Amino acid sequence: MSIFRCASCYSTDMNATQLKKIFLMFLTSGICTTSFSQGYQVNFQGQKQQGMASAGTALPQDASTVFFNPGAASFLEKGSIEIAMTPVFGNTLFEEDSTGVTGRTNSPMGKPFSVYALLRNKKVEALSYGIGIYTPFGSTIQYEDGWVGRFALTRLELMSIFVQPTISYQLNDKLGIGAGFVYCIGKVNLQKDIPVIDQNGEYSHAELSASASGMGVNAGVYFKASEILSFGLTYRSKVTMGVADGTAEFTVPEALAPNFPNGSFSSELPLPQVITLGAAFMTNENLSIAADINYIGWSAYDTLAFDYVNNTESLEDTRSARNYENTFAFRLGGQYKVSDLLSVRLGLAYGMTPVQNGYVTPETPDADRISYTGGLSLNLHEHFDIDLSLLYTHVERWDHNLETNLTGKYTTNVVAPGFALRYKF
Amino acid sequence: MSWPRDLHFVTSFNMRTNWIIVFSALAVTYSCKPKKIESDWNSGEANMAAYVAIGGSSTGGYMHDALTYEGQQNSLAAILGSQFEMVGGSPMVHPSVASSSIGWSLTGASVLELGFKTDCNGTTSLSPVRTGPTGDATVLNNIYSSTNRNFGIPFLSSLKLNDASYGDPMNGTHNPFFARMASSSSSSILTDLSATNMTFCSIQVGVDEVLEYARKGASAGSLAPVNGSAGSGFTGSIQELMDLVESKGAKAVVATIPDVMTMPYFTTIPYDGLDLDAESAESLNQIYNPIGINFVVGKNAFMIEDPNAGVFGVRQMVPGELLLLNVPLDSVKCYKMGSVFPLRDEFILTLDEQQEIRTAVEGYNESLVNMANSKGFAVVREDYFYKSFSAGMVYNGVSLNAQFVSGGAYSLDGLRLNPRGNALLANEYIRAINQKYNARIPYADPIKYKGIVFP
Repeated sequence: MSIFRCASCYSTDMNATQLKKIFLMFLTSGICTTSFSQGYQVNFQGQKQQGMASAGTALPQDASTVFFNPGAASFLEKGSIEIAMTPVFGNTLFEEDSTGVTGRTNSPMGKPFSVYALLRNKKVEALSYGIGIYTPFGSTIQYEDGWVGRFALTRLELMSIFVQPTISYQLNDKLGIGAGFVYCIGKVNLQKDIPVIDQNGEYSHAELSASASGMGVNAGVYFKASEILSFGLTYRSKVTMGVADGTAEFTVPEALAPNFPNGSFSSELPLPQVITLGAAFMTNENLSIAADINYIGWSAYDTLAFDYVNNTESLEDTRSARNYENTFAFRLGGQYKVSDLLSVRLGLAYGMTPVQNGYVTPETPDADRISYTGGLSLNLHEHFDIDLSLLYTHVERWDHNLETNLTGKYTTNVVAPGFALRYKF
Repeated sequence: MSWPRDLHFVTSFNMRTNWIIVFSALAVTYSCKPKKIESDWNSGEANMAAYVAIGGSSTGGYMHDALTYEGQQNSLAAILGSQFEMVGGSPMVHPSVASSSIGWSLTGASVLELGFKTDCNGTTSLSPVRTGPTGDATVLNNIYSSTNRNFGIPFLSSLKLNDASYGDPMNGTHNPFFARMASSSSSSILTDLSATNMTFCSIQVGVDEVLEYARKGASAGSLAPVNGSAGSGFTGSIQELMDLVESKGAKAVVATIPDVMTMPYFTTIPYDGLDLDAESAESLNQIYNPIGINFVVGKNAFMIEDPNAGVFGVRQMVPGELLLLNVPLDSVKCYKMGSVFPLRDEFILTLDEQQEIRTAVEGYNESLVNMANSKGFAVVREDYFYKSFSAGMVYNGVSLNAQFVSGGAYSLDGLRLNPRGNALLANEYIRAINQKYNARIPYADPIKYKGIVFP
């Protein structure tokens, strides 16, 4: 399933030529890389929330609540359908301590997207149905040719698309519950060079590609304590992306072809559980404040293993320690309604890295990070509105990787402008 | 769905959206790329303006059993020279071989490359092969230049440093690799060195002469005595060299001598690699059972000559003894060498011979370290480096070890490092210099330098 194909098919569905144009511009302007945010998690599932540092578990506002808190979706009075996309421009610089040699990324723009629909049941008012399609994990990181860490990684493309049909029920004026079943499809493509050169001085290359799938749940409770205060609690389960029949391709000198047989491999990658506790404070009609705490079960990612069907002396199964740790993220955002047309937002998030010292890899040059966000909504029409958001983060991490001995500092800048188009009914 | 008023609004919305896109694109362009912090590389208390290298094969770029242009360009001296350029060094000058040359080995052969070789059983396998039927003798033509700063002389012997006939082709014990760079046929290495205007010197003397003794199974020549004056003992000869460097006002880094017996030349063929079927074992037993030697089906220790072994002067190898890579493998495989015909001394390092070499090297190293310390020169412990290297290491995701070919750092002669190995070694020099002279010289990137090239 290609993002490109889907982007255009959604725009056809929306039947808006402008949308198509915007998509095209974003798709063709990919000049920086995507970067992961906290491990390989990507927190771009709702534009209003993104304006507020991705907080919003206790602040239902639109159909993206299907993701943020299935329990709160039934409190929304209107049904809506929306599509959103967040082009991610990131760029990583690696500076090796000992040599001063640098390596940069030049990967394609990240294209996390989401599509949500929320419908109120016509007979049972307390019941809402929803569906969410979103991309909470993965992106592409590609390093420039010949970079110093080429034998650790040259490119990693990780994509996951979650499809989540959801049901939400309002028990009473104060309490709502909801749950969604998650089916996830994904693909992974991992490439690196092999330190063997041919007669032309070219290094050998390995490319592992696979599709994967997995299942999980997203469940939530919403408690509206009063007109000014509400709480939310959600549990998004771990999804294990299993690869049964991946393709391993090796480009090696002829003499070594028997050592590196092309063939099949199996592997798996855990997409960790996330437990979120949120609160929202509606100080008055115009100002809302939302705060979320995520607890992310990264310890599920302790090993990255590849099991090759055709083993040789040169091609043994690999088990690389990742030893991720469970982490927290703290998110605080505010929203101010300037007028009926315009709302503005600001947010600040602090995310702890799951990657311990000694385990930082070029795949995830991760560190504790502060993210700054802003956003606005234009309520253009009774039925139509648009959200915009912007995120900036700067990440620095020095590490000496215990497996590859790659030692130096990764610096990453990320700018992620996002938008959503919504039809309400 | 009713859109407000008219299309005008839609157009202006469209433009606004485009502006947002333009602004985000600009924001992306300026904020996206992290800035590189400029490093304050410096040579500390050392002055790298004119770096002169004195040493053996590694320093000179002899690898894959020949001196070639590519080897020189990837020599220890070349790699150090290019790192020193980043702290004020001037570009290194080598006594360069023509870049198209297929090289010249001590025995007159061309350089080794990895190719396919068919053995006496008709089995074809990856193996080091010569690139040409003979070497390129023009390599030995004298190309003296007063600007030369690489005195890396393959097969260098410490005792010959001040020998005025060492570069004289008419002299039977001359070194052709010094002769090609000597200022005249009557100049010694030290005379030519003293004519340079060195500010810094790397000294890697000793390893080649140990190798020269060891690689022939300790069967020819002898090791220099540790003590003795210049020309007759290791210590005196090195002392004279260090005095010269000091008198030029230069600083230096001095290398110790590794345990050469960790090199693949000595470790590749197992002592018990004589693999026998029932028939061969039986026929060998008919020969050897009378003198108390028994063979079994499967692995057996090779038979070697040993004058001290009983009446017949033959015995089986024992664990720890080394069978060298100079052994003619076809003769072993097809013509019963190492079994019916015991292997000669030149292919073997017995435990005693190994001990003799180790004792000498320990003496040399003690002497080198003492002399370097008293001069205030940096010391690079090549012995520690080779020892830890033989256990294997991972450099930026690349596994390297002391195995033949697959280890990735040795050249195809199994004795000298390849470009990547030299870069790893060069980094040990840089580490030592940085420590001793409070310098911050950037390390070389070994990955930039070639390992083994596969067909």
